[in-house]
Amino acid sequence: MTAVPDRAKRPGPTIVTRLMENRHLGWAALAVGLVAPFVIATPYAMNIMTSAVIFVMLAVGLNIVVGYCGLLDLGFAAFFAVGAYTSGLLATRLSWPLLATVPAVIIATALAGVIIGGPTLRLRSDYLAIVTLGFGEIVRIIANNLEVTGGPSGIYGIPGLFGAEAADPVVFYYAALVIVAVAVLLAARLGRSRLGRAWRFVREDEDAAEAMGVHTYRIKMAAYIAGAIWGGLAGVLFAAQLSAISPASFTFLQSALVLMAVVLGGMGSTPGVVIGAVVISLLPEILRDLADYRFFVFGVLLIVMMIVRPQGLWPHRSRETARTAARSGES
Amino acid sequence: MSQLIWNGLFVGSFYALVALGYTMVYGIIKLLNFAHGDLYMLGAFTGFAMLGAMGGLVRSSSLVALLVVLVLTMVTTGLGGLVIERVAYRPLRGMPRLSLLITAVGASFALEYGTRIAAGPNPRVYPVRLDGAAVDVLGARVTMQQLVLMAVSAALMVALAVFIGRTQQGRAMRAIALDPKACLLMGINVDAIIARTFFIGSAMAGAAGVMAGGYYGKIDFLMGFIIGLKAFTAAVIGGIGNVPGTMLGALVLGLLESFGTHWVGGEWRDVFAFGFLILFLTVRPTGLLGERVTERV
Amino acid sequence: MKKIALGAVLGAATLAVSACGQGVLGSDKTDDSGPIALGMVVPLSGSSADIGPYMKNGAQMAIDEINAKGGVDGRKLQLRVEDGACDPKTEVAAANKLIAAKIAVSVGGYCSGSALPTLPLFDRNKIPMIIPAANSTELVEQKLKHVFLINGTGDQQAAAAVSWMGKDGAKKVAVLHDNTSYSKDIATRTATGLDQPGGPDKAALDAVTPGESDYSANIASVLKTKPDFVYWTGYYQEGGLILRQLRQAGYTGKFMVGDGSVDAKLIKIAGDKAAEGAYATMTQTPDTIEGAGGWVANYKKKFGAEPGPYSTQSYDAVRVAAEGITKAGGTDGDKVAKALEAIDGFPIFSGPLKFTPQHTLSNGGFVILVVKNGAFTLRDALK
Repeated sequence: MTAVPDRAKRPGPTIVTRLMENRHLGWAALAVGLVAPFVIATPYAMNIMTSAVIFVMLAVGLNIVVGYCGLLDLGFAAFFAVGAYTSGLLATRLSWPLLATVPAVIIATALAGVIIGGPTLRLRSDYLAIVTLGFGEIVRIIANNLEVTGGPSGIYGIPGLFGAEAADPVVFYYAALVIVAVAVLLAARLGRSRLGRAWRFVREDEDAAEAMGVHTYRIKMAAYIAGAIWGGLAGVLFAAQLSAISPASFTFLQSALVLMAVVLGGMGSTPGVVIGAVVISLLPEILRDLADYRFFVFGVLLIVMMIVRPQGLWPHRSRETARTAARSGES
Repeated sequence: MSQLIWNGLFVGSFYALVALGYTMVYGIIKLLNFAHGDLYMLGAFTGFAMLGAMGGLVRSSSLVALLVVLVLTMVTTGLGGLVIERVAYRPLRGMPRLSLLITAVGASFALEYGTRIAAGPNPRVYPVRLDGAAVDVLGARVTMQQLVLMAVSAALMVALAVFIGRTQQGRAMRAIALDPKACLLMGINVDAIIARTFFIGSAMAGAAGVMAGGYYGKIDFLMGFIIGLKAFTAAVIGGIGNVPGTMLGALVLGLLESFGTHWVGGEWRDVFAFGFLILFLTVRPTGLLGERVTERV
Repeated sequence: MKKIALGAVLGAATLAVSACGQGVLGSDKTDDSGPIALGMVVPLSGSSADIGPYMKNGAQMAIDEINAKGGVDGRKLQLRVEDGACDPKTEVAAANKLIAAKIAVSVGGYCSGSALPTLPLFDRNKIPMIIPAANSTELVEQKLKHVFLINGTGDQQAAAAVSWMGKDGAKKVAVLHDNTSYSKDIATRTATGLDQPGGPDKAALDAVTPGESDYSANIASVLKTKPDFVYWTGYYQEGGLILRQLRQAGYTGKFMVGDGSVDAKLIKIAGDKAAEGAYATMTQTPDTIEGAGGWVANYKKKFGAEPGPYSTQSYDAVRVAAEGITKAGGTDGDKVAKALEAIDGFPIFSGPLKFTPQHTLSNGGFVILVVKNGAFTLRDALK
């Protein structure tokens, strides 16, 4: 796309933008998250808030791949599934405590990242998209067909994060909140590191990056593996929260929803992606009372939100020109 | 063997009709139109409503009635595509490409669940059923109806290929795919051409919807989802953005599924099809007929 | 440091507005007067969205009937339905919402895979769960005190299927399923039954992808094995298509479907000609029980639609729940669960109800139906 007429006129720092740039906002947000259960702690509220927090982790993971590095991934649920199944299998079949499965999950998802990324990362944009979509489906179908993964019913009886006894939803919510907050912080740090700058370079112009001596294939692989690990760890939390996992949780729709969270919030922008994830995961629940109209309204709201804020709810701000900003979306 | 080939080709021709709209839209504005499969669904329901309205008239001459409905439905879904383009895609032109993905998914949800509100969650059954005696062709069972449907889709595809390749409009479309800004400067009404592309692509999907309704008989509000994914896959196999490639890709996908079912069983069919696709793309990264282009230089 | 869990803000803010005094420090009191709420998680969106209304209507019908007779212990019943979409995450959220709404008994559950994570939730909150539709054995393998199945298990249905195949003189049977837990469970158990020496043999066991329109490839590969009997264990939408396409492909043998396919729409989709003579493994329905025809008429009058799969089971689930509450003399979950275990001979569609120690039906009550003149009628009671 070449035509980018009038986005050069950038307004000066208004109160809102200055507030959005505020360094302490993240802490404020965490504080609100910590206080929330004192306001409302019905099982339902705790459940959807925990789900939202886990979804944030997924979105932040995908953001590394799509937002930082510009690789379009339509099968992110594959890593989510690998993480959830690895930890679920180890916890139920071999009775490991759930926390002990974390190293295994990291290894398994990193391996999955290498297997999926290896042959495909040389492909560009939409071909990469279909290949990742294919891998997502393959992982789901394998989980559905194999005996060891419990077939279509999946695995049940997965213990909680700290053993089966401490299953209080509030405790789990706090645990998830803290873990995810750390993960978000780490991802943001990673994005600003040397590696993160290389990712953005590859996103902006792969050929130029290659010419400047960036090993683009290796850099892309790093993004893929990082995203995979984040997704896999989100899977562990997911397995702990639901206590039972089945292939129905890892469909293409799930991948699409995570991608939507990233784009809706603002690709490459950590606060944006966090907000996007919360909106995408809470909106259908908030609209629940509309019954039959729920997903219709959800669809219409998605269109409206995007038209009002085409760059995302909270876009990434950097010293890019309008031109490069537009191209960065092309990936 | 010949039965497997015939089944694959027949299914593939449905995929092709849907995939064509996908590939045209992609070729011209580089948009993965996730709502495209739902236009197929919309076509099936529009046709259903029209046949219902025609009532007794239908019974007497079902094939003729179905053809009339086919044309009317193509116009209706074409207009539907226009509306979606105007409301959900045009305001975002020039914005990051992935933001269009969100509105596409939004439009898809709105179409699916809008239909669910209007027509209910239950599947509907077409009042007209194409059913006929089978003939044996080289060891494959082929019905007259299948041949008619194949002929109709082939005709539509040829017409489209001629339209894109030979007419001024088609040339304008190809030009926009290459460089929209230059087209603007050359006095081409880019908005109008893009709108027309959506119209044609959606009409094709609508046609496939009516044909599926008439042949298979059952329609439901989520029927577009799977075929949308299949169409996307087919378009990529053929080389997305390339019209003849897409047709070829759709037939290849149909055959892959047919043989995959036979060789590895229905359970593993999609693993086989996607696995083949992945291997194929690593060998030939731009699809069957896609051109080798470098992006963003 | 600004870039931390901003998400929680939005979530908390939205919820905080809608509720006060429900925090971790808030009080938790139950109300013993007023209506008794029964909860139900069913799919109202997603690929199984068509089944939800059938179940909801069936349950509503039982509730209205009970209320018309004065309710339970003088308290009216009330139905709360939430959409689970057959997605585990959504289903868990829905279950939690019902728990927050203080339902006394859960009478929902359709997709086994997504119902599984809701079981420990209901169990932990001492809410008895009477599952009308989901029937995988995994549901009861955890031996949860509060979980009951009132739909025949896959084992029972498979046994009924195999015994009918033998009785009908089948030689080579092909079994097709749709790769969901319900369908695959019945199919693999049927296949195991066929593999036993004696009786009909297994020709093929294959799966289709639900939601598609063209199954000719599956059919071609099944017909290669030359079966004279095909058993479909999935739902009516694909069942109708498969039956029709089987006939188009020149198959002339017998065809049988599982209970998820017993719906008038199956016959419509397949077409009268193709569907004629098709068998089904099914529990007794109002159509097949003498003198129960009024049930269907009432249902049609009330909802303006035909009953479908699991309408009767949902209707029964509510009645069983009411019976349990009556016997327990209140809505205390443990007492209700005990009362349910003690039920003996309560009449439901599949026959007199008595739970096994595993909380499944002691008698699945499966009978064989046949499509005759465009409607399912009783063929053999398998007694």
